[in-house]
Amino acid sequence: MISANTIAGLFGCGLLGLAAVATAIRLRRLPVRARYAVTLAAALAVFVPIGGLSIAACVRSVTGDLSAATLVLAGAACFTQLTGRTLIEPRDKHALCWLFALAAAFLYPFALGWTRFDPYALGFGSVEFITALLLITLAAWVARLNLIVLVVVVAVLAFLGGAYESRNLWDYLIDPLVSVYALIRLLAPRSVYSSPLSRSA
Amino acid sequence: MPPQTAGASAATPRYETQLLPNSTAQSVHSATAAEISGGRLVAFWYGGSREGAPDVAIYTSVYSLKEGTWSPERAAMTRELAQRHLQRYIRKLGNPVVGRDSKGRLCLYFVSVSVGGWAGSAVNLMVSEDEGETWSPPRRLVASPFFNISTLVKGVPLVFSDGAAGLPAYHELLGKFGELLRLDSEGHVIGKMRLSWGQSSLQPVIVPRSDKEAVGFMRYSGDPPNRIVMVRTGDGGVHWSPPVRTELPNPNSAIGSVLLSGGPLLLAFNNAGENREDLSLALSADFANTWRIAHRFEGGSGSPQAPVPEYSYPWIMQDRAGDVHVLYTWGRSRIKHVRFNRAWLEGRP
Repeated sequence: MISANTIAGLFGCGLLGLAAVATAIRLRRLPVRARYAVTLAAALAVFVPIGGLSIAACVRSVTGDLSAATLVLAGAACFTQLTGRTLIEPRDKHALCWLFALAAAFLYPFALGWTRFDPYALGFGSVEFITALLLITLAAWVARLNLIVLVVVVAVLAFLGGAYESRNLWDYLIDPLVSVYALIRLLAPRSVYSSPLSRSA
Repeated sequence: MPPQTAGASAATPRYETQLLPNSTAQSVHSATAAEISGGRLVAFWYGGSREGAPDVAIYTSVYSLKEGTWSPERAAMTRELAQRHLQRYIRKLGNPVVGRDSKGRLCLYFVSVSVGGWAGSAVNLMVSEDEGETWSPPRRLVASPFFNISTLVKGVPLVFSDGAAGLPAYHELLGKFGELLRLDSEGHVIGKMRLSWGQSSLQPVIVPRSDKEAVGFMRYSGDPPNRIVMVRTGDGGVHWSPPVRTELPNPNSAIGSVLLSGGPLLLAFNNAGENREDLSLALSADFANTWRIAHRFEGGSGSPQAPVPEYSYPWIMQDRAGDVHVLYTWGRSRIKHVRFNRAWLEGRP
């Protein structure tokens, strides 16, 4: 029997797969009915197991469970391709990219053993970490950077609900995929980056 | 193979060796064991056509302490079974370690890899409520923010004074370093303490002496001189001393250690700087301040040599009756079991 944690993890990886497919084929250029038909077919292809594993499971084998940031961006990309409407303002996305690039620079080198300090351990309920996150979220709310607020709220709710196998808040906030995406968006000239998520969300 | 015995009475020195059953696997490695009810030990190891091959499975066998015999081995976990339960592609299986949690349940942790080599490892947990007869489906432990890869296990699991399970783990992606994971009763990682950092220490083995005090040993993979790395804690594992190199050699190989009830502290290790042809037993009466070599399991002139003279990955434990059991990889083709008692140990020069 598949656990609720597994279902949540597969859903997230499947959503990323759908966003990638929808953006790659530029779904919104198709007639409305065709968009939904293609999305349904893609969903079946992503979620239905073939030979024991679905495409979502294969993605999850590599990426692990995806963070709220990746899921929000992937969901927004799917929404845009299905409806033709843009959900995320460029200013919001730019701020999110800065925040996650900085968070990645703080988290990954140390978590991979650079020094004795391990910021990943703070995600197991450190008061300092939760306080810092609260202050950042409040600052984002005051600055009307709603995407950051949304990502943090989704991450915290998923963490409190034990959506994934992880009991570390970092895993619900950030993952290497969104970190690389943020770095590319910040470092590359606007005309160069053509990530599926960036074009659509 | 029947045990080769050098004594049988509890009051007299006893030293026995035998090879564990292996009817199928050409290559076996990384044994682990725990005592279970009914006067038995249960052992696990991985084996297959070669290390990292798709046919590698986690094998198990049960040892009767009274009869001194091992049951025929059987597969406890296969790549296909792990893949189905974990809902992830599994490329290969690796190190198992077995221990008990605070509820007394048997916990079997094992390494699996989805992509790449051992640096792409993750750790999984199965729990048995009936002494290893049946097991829960495996679940993935999450111990790293970087795709949750590069976490492996080799050391003996332990239990913290507050009831949380402790699992020595290590990473070997960009850095090689040891950590001690804290797990709740459901097997979720709820905390971790770093034992070392950088690129030169792995496979920690933690030996507690009390609720507060413990010593840890790690395999060394850095620049010479090649020595076993040691850390200590005096506050129940909250803080650890900076890692130091001991006087004991280490050819980038795993270590086993146990504190006997009433002492001394034992260490099974490769007593050489460059290869794994010597496997020895060191003894410390002052909790790892000083050591003396008590015995050579392998590498002596009288011991029969394996086709591949490599003796590695020792696992050492004491049963309730006081006998000591050492399991290790013998020439990559068999797991060897050495059993001895205190009378034999006290008779060593």
